[in-house]
Amino acid sequence: MTKVDHKKVLAERLSARFGRRAVLKGMGAGLLTAAASTGAPGIARAQQSGHLKIASIKVIDTLDPHFTGFLSAIQIINNIHNGLLKIAYDGTNVSFEPDLAETWDLEDDKTHVFKLREGVMFHDGTPCNAEAVKFSLLRVKEGEPKSPHAWKLALLDEIEIIDDLTFKLHFSQPYAFLPVALNGSTGRAGTIVSPAAVQKYGADYGRNPVGTGPFKFVSWRENDAIELEANTEYFEEGLPKLERVTFVLMNEASTALAALMAGQIDGMTDCPMQLVDQVDAFPNATLYGEIEGNYTFVGMNCARAPFDDINLRRAVAWALDRETLVKQAYFGRAQQAYTPISPPMTDFFDPNIATSGRGQWFDLEKAKEFRAKAANQGEVEVTYMMAERGPVGTRVAQTVAPMLAQIGIKANLELIEPAAWVKRRNEGDFDLYDFEWVADLDPDETLYPEFRSDGAWNFGKWINTEFDELCAQAQVVLEPEARKELYYKAEDLLMDEAGIAVMAHMPIYKVFSNKVQGFEYIPADLVNLHTVSLA
Amino acid sequence: MWGQALGKIAQTLVVLFVVSVASFGLLKLAPGDPIQIMLGSEYSQEAYESLTAELGLDQPFLAQYADWAVRFVQGDWGTSYVARTDIFTYAFKEALPVTLTLASFSLAFAILIGVPLGVLSAVKKDTAFDAGAAVLALTGTAFPSFLLGILLIWFFAVKMQLFPVMGYVSPWQDFWGGIYHMILPGLTLSTYFIAMITRLTRATLIEVMEQPYIAAARARGEPSWRVIWVHGVRNIAMPLVTILGLQLGVLLQGTVLTETVFNLPGIGQMLTSAVLGREYMVVQAGVMMTATLFIGVNLLVDLSYPFLDPRLRARK
Repeated sequence: MTKVDHKKVLAERLSARFGRRAVLKGMGAGLLTAAASTGAPGIARAQQSGHLKIASIKVIDTLDPHFTGFLSAIQIINNIHNGLLKIAYDGTNVSFEPDLAETWDLEDDKTHVFKLREGVMFHDGTPCNAEAVKFSLLRVKEGEPKSPHAWKLALLDEIEIIDDLTFKLHFSQPYAFLPVALNGSTGRAGTIVSPAAVQKYGADYGRNPVGTGPFKFVSWRENDAIELEANTEYFEEGLPKLERVTFVLMNEASTALAALMAGQIDGMTDCPMQLVDQVDAFPNATLYGEIEGNYTFVGMNCARAPFDDINLRRAVAWALDRETLVKQAYFGRAQQAYTPISPPMTDFFDPNIATSGRGQWFDLEKAKEFRAKAANQGEVEVTYMMAERGPVGTRVAQTVAPMLAQIGIKANLELIEPAAWVKRRNEGDFDLYDFEWVADLDPDETLYPEFRSDGAWNFGKWINTEFDELCAQAQVVLEPEARKELYYKAEDLLMDEAGIAVMAHMPIYKVFSNKVQGFEYIPADLVNLHTVSLA
Repeated sequence: MWGQALGKIAQTLVVLFVVSVASFGLLKLAPGDPIQIMLGSEYSQEAYESLTAELGLDQPFLAQYADWAVRFVQGDWGTSYVARTDIFTYAFKEALPVTLTLASFSLAFAILIGVPLGVLSAVKKDTAFDAGAAVLALTGTAFPSFLLGILLIWFFAVKMQLFPVMGYVSPWQDFWGGIYHMILPGLTLSTYFIAMITRLTRATLIEVMEQPYIAAARARGEPSWRVIWVHGVRNIAMPLVTILGLQLGVLLQGTVLTETVFNLPGIGQMLTSAVLGREYMVVQAGVMMTATLFIGVNLLVDLSYPFLDPRLRARK
């Protein structure tokens, strides 16, 4: 691959982002910001109106983008901060567009040049410039305490500041995952925080976040609410539209739904699948949700008997009736998965996968053939650990157990508490469990850390060095078609050796009352409110 | 008198010590690791170790306990692992008032509804009213409070739109708003107690009404409301107060579910999320507060006897 090709490929792949329009739009916003900051803030303030109250059902650990492990926290963080890039969605394609960056160019396949928008200020009045970006990236890469997202910038060698708004990122290898790592959403590593605020608050930054986003953080009352107010000097013209946003922290989704129906709140950041029918029947609310970047699977412990036997694993993989699972366990809302790569990875997902012959699906005859080849021909008794966790709790386990009985595997369902479940999963103390990897937008993050031989998330300890090599190669290939080939090969190994039995891609739902207008749905579990207004 | 009080206080301290060791130990023994929960799934071993060391969770159990206990006594309740809030502010200043408000409302409901209902049942013993009240009371005791809470929400808040679905408003800041928000949760939590107090009032009052002093009061020609409410009810105060004090534990236990259903930011919700997240120090703070509350109330019950029963007052 030549240098020139490479640049062209990436430029194409990042398509809309460096188009003339995007650049002009970026400059326009910069001018507006400058005007707003020198002009009367009172006038800008008058544009915002309305107080949106939205229930946040899951746990919010911290509002520090570099330390959170929860998507529910990112939903809020993303309204306070911006990334260098952002995720865009036009209804069919997911792409990455510049956010704080105005332009992004490749000097060679390992050197990326960014120019920032002019005049962008953090909520505390300090400028968002190349120094601030360097500070944030280094905080992720090598800060103390260690960020859980440090690995996303492991290949970053040097950050070279050219001028106040321009900087170069030097990588040790070409890095195909970069667009995801640098967006302010699921990637988190490229979310830019105010250096002054980090110095001021230290470890308490997560309770006092200061970004450049459309909303400013106001307060956080434990188990009660997180309040945001409009950033009147936000760099996107005419945004945000709301004056105030309250995330009402709730544990009980059915109470949130009741509050929505009674008009006490205007939406829910997450609507569990079992409540979707009720929302559908309610005329004053709109449901947003599509199949997102995730896959669910039954995990098998490949490191110990009986699932160290490849034929027994294959038997499980072919014995799961995905159609029934989708109906019974996922309320008929999910989509059967053949391999891990999911629909929103538009450059990689094969829309005709069902007829392609790749992956795993239900075929009891085939399952029985594999079962007949298994070392243990007697009844195999295994422990299936389950917990009231995840999108559908213990429903998957209860649906899977009778399917396994058909191939002579007796799964003893063991219900444990979620914290204990996490511990046992991480320690590899199980035979079977079910889990889901969610909010992935690139095959790298959906396959490699989960199944590489020495991967920290490879709880089932499926080991295949060829798979490792394919994924490692794909990381440094920037051309999507070539990358796709490598990931397909890697997936085929995983599916054939049945490291897991893949089940479904799930939709993730959000609900807003019909008073709420302008919500832009993005299939990465985001609740971006900058375009939202209240009628 | 002083000796007795000192004895009680010493007893209380011993109980609190035992409670704190037990809850600290139980939670540590339970499988589950706060760091793993905090970091979600995307973390490296280095991040895990660095955080474990930073939070002092790599220390042996006794060292962790001693460190916690010494600070706790000094009023430094620590910082929660995940949210990094000051636990004293969170638990004592924010969560405790909510739970106290909820508990007081429930107690008030229980007394204001339960006692009159019980008195009427006793007076109209073996009538249709009595039978009806008995059925209500039995249902109340048997009905799970979370289900009742959801039903109340659906009927009164969603269908009738009479009350808010959820949320807490401090009655100290907005008195009527506070009451308005507390009616459904207060009612949910108090059903069990309404039922219990009704049955207790009925049973004890029937017994009291057969006493000679009631007959004497009637013989003196006192109006029957006075006989019942003054001579009768005053004499059931003692068993009532005793039972209420002892049942306070059940009430506090009930706040966990009620607070979850009505989304009230009280100790119940605090403890639930803390236990699930293995926030050892938050759990400790919650347990210590509820234990102190429970012991304190029962101490008050003991001390109230002389006021309720003149025969128990010290003779000079």
